Order: sequence, then C-alpha cells, then structure tokens
Amino acid sequence: MPAPGDERLFMAGTLAEALAALADRGSEGAALAGGTWIMRAPIRRESSAQFHVGIGRIPELNAIDVAADRIRIGACVTHSQLVAGLVGIASCNGLVTAAGSAANPAIRSMATVGGNLSACDFPAADLPPALLCLDAEVEVGVNGGGMQRLPIERFLATRKNLEPGTLVTGITISRQPVLTGHARLPLRKAGDYPVAIVSISATIGRDGLVEDARIAVGSVESSARRWPQLEQRLKGLALDGHKAGTLAEAELGVFTGRDAVEAPGWYRVQVLPALVRRAVQAALSSHS
Amino acid sequence: MPTTLTINGEQRVSSGGPMTPLIDVLRDEFFLTGAKAVCREGFCGACTVHIDGQPAVSCLVPIGTVGDREIRTVESLETAGKLSPLQQTMEEHDVVQCGMCFPGILMVLTGFLSEHPRAGRDEIKAALAGNICRCTGYERLVDAAAELARRG
Repeated sequence: MPAPGDERLFMAGTLAEALAALADRGSEGAALAGGTWIMRAPIRRESSAQFHVGIGRIPELNAIDVAADRIRIGACVTHSQLVAGLVGIASCNGLVTAAGSAANPAIRSMATVGGNLSACDFPAADLPPALLCLDAEVEVGVNGGGMQRLPIERFLATRKNLEPGTLVTGITISRQPVLTGHARLPLRKAGDYPVAIVSISATIGRDGLVEDARIAVGSVESSARRWPQLEQRLKGLALDGHKAGTLAEAELGVFTGRDAVEAPGWYRVQVLPALVRRAVQAALSSHS
Repeated sequence: MPTTLTINGEQRVSSGGPMTPLIDVLRDEFFLTGAKAVCREGFCGACTVHIDGQPAVSCLVPIGTVGDREIRTVESLETAGKLSPLQQTMEEHDVVQCGMCFPGILMVLTGFLSEHPRAGRDEIKAALAGNICRCTGYERLVDAAAELARRG
C-alpha cells in the first residue's frame, strides 16, 4: 500500500488516454471512477494501487444510450443517473430498483456502474443480480486490443483475473418484453448493505404462463449468481409471489451462505423465499 | 504538485497529493471544520459538502478529481451574517445536539429541499438515509425540515 500522499493520479480526457495510461502502469495502476470503494481502502486496511487513472471525465463513459433494441450504459454512469435514465422502461424496473435503493443518496450520486461491477470483494452489490437477470453484456477494453463484450456471468466469474490494464467501459442490455423485479433485505430500512438480494426477470407467454425466467441472488455468497433450479421450476406456471416463495424453500440447498459480522450465512439463505416472493410481486406490480 | 480548488467561491491551493480526501484538505489545510471526518466510508454523512450543487461525502472524494468543480461547505450557508432559512428553522426547533452529524445533515437537506421544496416527512427521511445521528435526534430534524417544506 502506498504511503499517504505518495499516490499518483492521472485524469484521462479520452478513453484512449485512459487505456494507454492503464497499460503503461500495468498491475500497479487502477481506474478511478466514483471513488466510493477505492477511497475507503485505508480505513479498511485494504491494499490500494500506487497509480490511479481517473476516468470520470470521459464523455462516452458517462452516457446512457436508449435505442429500440438495446440500452448501453457507460461505466461512469452513477446509480442516480441510471435511475433517472431508465425509470419508466418496463424491462428495467428491477435494475432501477437496484440502483435506486443501494447505499444512500450521496453514495448513489457518486458510485458508478463500472465501479460496482469491478469491486470484486463486494458481495452485497445490488447491480450484479439485476444485470444477471437482464443477460447484460459487459464491455471491456485494453490498450490497442479493441473492445470486447463479455456475458455478465462470465465477467463476474473472471473479473479477478482480468489482464492488468483492462478497463470496464460500459454494459449493454438487449431490450426484451420481460417483467423484472428486485428485492433486498437490509438490516436497517435504508442506507445499509443488504443481507440478501433477489432479482427476477420473467417472460410471460400468451397463455399467461412463465415461458422463461431468470432469478439471481446477491449478497448470500461471495458473488451474485443465477438460481437455475428455481428458474426451471417456475417455467410453465402462472407467475405468483407466494407460489414462487414456496418453490424457493425447496431449492435453498444449493446456497452456502457467507458468514459476516452483520449476519450469519444460514440467515441469508433462510430469508431467500421471502425475497423471492417480494421480487415476483414487484415484477407483477410493475406490469400492472 | 499543488491542486487548486474552488471552495465557497474562493480559489484555494492545497499542497496535498491528488488522492488526498477532500475532507482532510477542508479541515486541516483550510480550517473549514464544519464538515466532520467520522466513518470515512460514506455511511454516516457527517462530511457531506456540495460539489457542483450535489451533496457528496467528502471523505471519499480525492481532491485531484474536483479541481474544476465548485465545492461548497456548511460555512457557506450563512450569508452576510444571516442564517439560511433551513438553519433558522433548525434553530427554532432546537434541533442541534452534539453537532457532529449536523453540518452534513444541513448540506443534505439544503440540496434536497432545493429540488423538492414541498417534500413530506417520508421523503425527508429517505433523503437522510445516509446521515447517522448518534444523539438519535431524528424526529426534531425531520419536524424542522417538514415545517420548512410546509412554509414553502
């Protein structure tokens, strides 16, 4: 960890400048966006990079582009901007709830989408489960290597081992006619990390039954992940919160909850059926 | 390398490194001690200032990222010896207790009420989700802010 005052910062004006600076510093460098994770490293006695590349002023990283078939969200879009940019888009209801209920208002106006996805040691992040349910793709770039889009599941599984100098530049979501919902359980009503998170997206067929479902769980284990066993059980049924919660009770064995100071692992798993019920109800109410 | 900052309308030069938290520069270099360094994690809100008009927790802001932005601290709320309407209402309701959280709460509510001047109690409570008061003086705080919103 660098001594206080020894850290270096380069504020990049363009994406090319940022990628070049990150490539130049290799494993000693790190991107800095909202700062809400990196800046608390000293008080948590966590290691921090010697050299930071500020990416917050790069225009294309701060834009939300909503097209008819897809939505692109720049890596430096904050949680508050995400809410403002996507509110009212039916398929984004869960994502908007995730971004709008994370942390507290001041943090939401600083913390970015790219930072949230890049914080590998942040199991309670709200955006990954919501994005898993939308089959989001994560755009990453390296100097001279062009851009690559990774399915979010693959990104979450490999993000700790990305090549030094790799930068998350944005995410892309295909617009689908899905119902989405997001439910979280913080210990206080707001402003706290959630003990557990459930996100859902569901495609409803003409017969009113679930054609396809995505369910993702966050904060229970070290990283958010899908819940394929429950997804399978929902298919062909009418979407109903109580029924989904009951089905969830039978599928809890696939999770091993993480113990931490704010909650034991068993508790995180135990609350999942209630959160499944709430997430489904949120998805249904967004439709009505 | 020195960093030039615009604080409460004045240009100030800090000798701190670019990753120095803004709260430390405000308090230790410029003696603007209204904002308090408490949790240093963005949980408590005691260090809240405005950056380009938006509340921000200054413990998590490296000074190297805000050289071109306008920073306002709680010291700027009073103008020409006159308290802001929010400050006056807080005084009328005898809200202040130990004073540790209070500057941050003023900055959050100043920003929030300027955007939501008719806010109700629930909205005010939600706006204060990131401000922790160890004296638990929340009810009088919310009473005062709601009163100000009612007066418009």
